[in-house]
Amino acid sequence: MKILYDWLKEFVAVPFAPGELRERLSLAGIAVEGVSETPAGPSLDLDLTINRPDCLGHYGVAREVAALGRSELPPLSVGLRESSDSAASVTDVEIASPDLCGRFTARVLRGVEVQPSPDWLRKRLEALGQASINNVVDATNYVMLELGHAMHAFDLDRLAERRIVVRRARAGEKIRTLDGVERTLSPEICVIADAARAVGIGGIMGGAETEIGFSTHNVLLESAWFDPVSIRRSSKALGLRTEASTRFERGADPEMAELASRRCAALICELAGGEALAGVVDVYPARREPLPLDLSRKELLRVMGASVPDAEIEAILGALGFAPRRADKTSGSPDSPLATWRCRQPSWRQDVTREVDLIEEVARHYGLEKFPPRLHPAKQPAARLPHAEAEDRLRERLIGLGYHEIVSIPLVNEAEDALFRPAGVTPARVANPLAEDASLLRSTGLVSMAHALAWNLNRGQHNLRLFEIGRAYRLQSGAPDEIRIATIGATGMASEQGVAESAREYGFADLKGDLDQIGNLAGGFDWNAETLAWQHPARAGRILLANAGLRRMEDGKGGQWFVTVGNTVVGSAGELAPRVADKFKLRQGVFLAEWALDPFYEGYGLARDDRKYQPISRFPAVERDFSLILSEGTSFASVRETIAALGIPEIFSIEAVDLFRGTNIPPGKFSLLVRITFQSQEATLTEAQLTDFSSRIISALERKLGATLRSV
Amino acid sequence: MTTDPTTQTLDQRGVTDDSQVEALFQEVRQQFDKQTINLPDDEIGWRMKRDAWLGRKAGVVTRITENWLKTAAPRLRPTVGRCLNDLRSHVEERLEQLHAAVVAAAGSAALARERVDLSLPGVTRPIGSRHLVQQTFEEIERIFLSLGFTVVEGPEIETPYYNFEALNIPEHHPARDTMDTFYLDVPPGSQPHLLRTHTSPMQVHTMEKQRPPVRIIVPGKVYRRDNPDATHSYMFHQVEGLAVDTDITFCEFKGTVEYFVREFLGSAAKTRLRPSYFPFTEPSVEVDASCFACMGRGCRLCKFSGWIELFGAGMVDPAVYGFVHYDATRVSGYAFGLGVDRLSQLKYGIDNLQLFFENDVRFLRQFP
Ligand SMILES: [Zn+2]
Repeated sequence: MKILYDWLKEFVAVPFAPGELRERLSLAGIAVEGVSETPAGPSLDLDLTINRPDCLGHYGVAREVAALGRSELPPLSVGLRESSDSAASVTDVEIASPDLCGRFTARVLRGVEVQPSPDWLRKRLEALGQASINNVVDATNYVMLELGHAMHAFDLDRLAERRIVVRRARAGEKIRTLDGVERTLSPEICVIADAARAVGIGGIMGGAETEIGFSTHNVLLESAWFDPVSIRRSSKALGLRTEASTRFERGADPEMAELASRRCAALICELAGGEALAGVVDVYPARREPLPLDLSRKELLRVMGASVPDAEIEAILGALGFAPRRADKTSGSPDSPLATWRCRQPSWRQDVTREVDLIEEVARHYGLEKFPPRLHPAKQPAARLPHAEAEDRLRERLIGLGYHEIVSIPLVNEAEDALFRPAGVTPARVANPLAEDASLLRSTGLVSMAHALAWNLNRGQHNLRLFEIGRAYRLQSGAPDEIRIATIGATGMASEQGVAESAREYGFADLKGDLDQIGNLAGGFDWNAETLAWQHPARAGRILLANAGLRRMEDGKGGQWFVTVGNTVVGSAGELAPRVADKFKLRQGVFLAEWALDPFYEGYGLARDDRKYQPISRFPAVERDFSLILSEGTSFASVRETIAALGIPEIFSIEAVDLFRGTNIPPGKFSLLVRITFQSQEATLTEAQLTDFSSRIISALERKLGATLRSV
Repeated sequence: MTTDPTTQTLDQRGVTDDSQVEALFQEVRQQFDKQTINLPDDEIGWRMKRDAWLGRKAGVVTRITENWLKTAAPRLRPTVGRCLNDLRSHVEERLEQLHAAVVAAAGSAALARERVDLSLPGVTRPIGSRHLVQQTFEEIERIFLSLGFTVVEGPEIETPYYNFEALNIPEHHPARDTMDTFYLDVPPGSQPHLLRTHTSPMQVHTMEKQRPPVRIIVPGKVYRRDNPDATHSYMFHQVEGLAVDTDITFCEFKGTVEYFVREFLGSAAKTRLRPSYFPFTEPSVEVDASCFACMGRGCRLCKFSGWIELFGAGMVDPAVYGFVHYDATRVSGYAFGLGVDRLSQLKYGIDNLQLFFENDVRFLRQFP
């Protein structure tokens, strides 16, 4: 809403220049975005909150200006010369739907001459963004901008039987509105009808057939009040927002209907000549007594924490039209803590219905800066989220491994999501998406990660390591479910060519190594070779977490023990299948992983609680290398397990240090170099012991895995 | 061609008095000085020089001892002895100097070869980064933890009741226009769900579960059905705050908000509360901070007002207490909703909201 500074001055003395007025009004809750210069003088651009329809006109804003100076707004006096014939003798109004229309006033103007508006009027309307149409229509718009009340003028002679019936629309009833659009109505919509048909949509827009034109001589001026909820519902159903609907849906002033009509009639007579018939036809089913409101200093103190002097309370509420009267027994003593005021709700402030609303009125004009800031001590300890520590450690580790954190919008393309979606998952679709690319809540973070990698690759960024800590969404038997997940994505070089370093591409082993480092936080990741549809069939697998199967049990005596219920699949990792990479136009090998965080965080807690110091042996460790020839398909895990199964306590670690295929290796075989470190807690190992361990290990590997020792 | 004098005896040279002895020594000394003007190339060169002069078998000094001193007439002997000692110490001293210089030169040559170019890059292991939104979340969390606020979080998929009704926003409230909402496509007959438009539903969830005092912050994602542009996005981030107790007033609210702004923007930041409207707070305010671009003088960023709108807040509307069965006549409190992306944009001068969600590494790397 724009307000002309000079127009304001017609209602109230404005003791501030426009710039200062902007500041003062803003600090009293009437936000002024800026001041601009127009041909009609300076204009203030108001950014009104929806609870203040009373400021959708200059007169209402003038009341706020008056309150800034603690003075009351002078009442409006409208002189209107009326002819001897009465309006009631010419027209008749019936409200058949009083629940939708609480008041309808009709005034009749006879013998008007419809013409273009004079300059001064056009100038003001145009400065406020209203196109000038003709003097009669412009008068209604002018008074709307002045008093905030939307009105409508009908060509009286085009109204069948020259009378008005306010009713619900009939199902399927049609009307062509002023904007030339034919609209089909429904019974929840309030229409203004004549004896035959709908001639306007109540509180939203008039009809084209009864529009004021240059041939119009007699005018019926409507000034009414409509139920806000009904207007809002109808306006949404019709997809039609107007100056009128904006005012009525926020709660217009029913008392203003008659005054605005009189003011508008006087203006029409001034601009278009003619005569106003005597009186107004006024049907007012919603008339009610003003709502009484009480304000006590005690409550003001309880809410605001600091007092406001009597004089300020009374001056502010008085200026705003609340007519405060002291209603307590201590009214003789100023600023008494027991003071109470009886007020009444002005008809233009339907948003103020409670004591707390009055407190806000007082506070905003008294000045929020006058309330002293205080900090209040906490009565309880503060806590972070239960998984905050685990998440911190995870994020730290990912960053240390070189991954950049991303944040993506979880709304994705359904077909792309389907490329990654595990079987049996019902995705959560959006019922009213704005775009096909954002029509579904992702069922996995992998789809977002693929997008983030593609975005960067398309912009010349080829070496990428990204991670996201977010959520995946799905429907679980009809109800939405949100799952905490971590997703990582990597592509390009693991190390780049440099003066001191040679280039190396990121490969599956990098992903595996990174995930092993991450898994260590939660007791260690395990793997199996099952692959999902998005994964490369040879370089991918599922991630399992042993700790996820651990359950902490209480023994009833304050102790705890853990029960292992087996490894649990928590995620998947590997190279992206070429088929899927193609869909995202990813032209280089891409590695992805995702795992569920709830079991990971649980595993983190268990691993942390389980951690105990392991004594460091004082005796030297001895390394022995075993160069094994194994059949293709034999896993390192089976080698490690075979060795571990011997139960030699002196085995400190078993590592794979080299892998070799080709020359000197028979077909169908490969060579694996295994390094075993032996160490005892009790003594230095003797050569005889080591020889014994070695031969036991070799014979076990030969027996269980058919391994042979490669002669070195 | 002259014969090397040291190969002959003094007699053979025809030296008969002290002055001749001294002249002879002077000649030898000049010879030595001439030979040692230049620094030998290396240790080997120096050793050859040393052996030529001090070598036990064939050095000049030895020869003089043998040929001159031992055969000198007794009257010349003291002078020969003195001159010989002078010569020896002169030679020794000079050779020692030369040796130190040779060693130093060799060292600096080796050093010059080994010297690293400090301007060459080292081997850098790539290090990742926290997303800027995450950094701001952590910063906000740190500030409010210090004030005794506990962190809670809740679902992003909510019911209309928690997102709207219980926050005093009934179905046909105009406030819903400012929060265009994505609804979930749920099977017929199941409860309607939406993507929360703010983190405020956790106010209601928390108060349903817990009696006062309540002091929480709620970080999380929120969604609006707005077409994406420089200031709008389908999704952005908020931190909701709520404090309810029997003794919280507007003054405590103000103190808390001012503390936050100073901690977040720096101690020079001034705070201004401007009356506003939200259905779930009363009184409601917009929290403004003094414009840090122009220090309050007025600029484009602050639309020439000197102030920048930071976030909305206010005293909890008593109507909300009704939904959670709190006694509105006994408890009071405040709530606020920080826009994390907006605060990050303001703090780091980021003019386009979309940058946060494109995840361009050239953006991510700027905030390690
Ligand atoms: Zn500025």
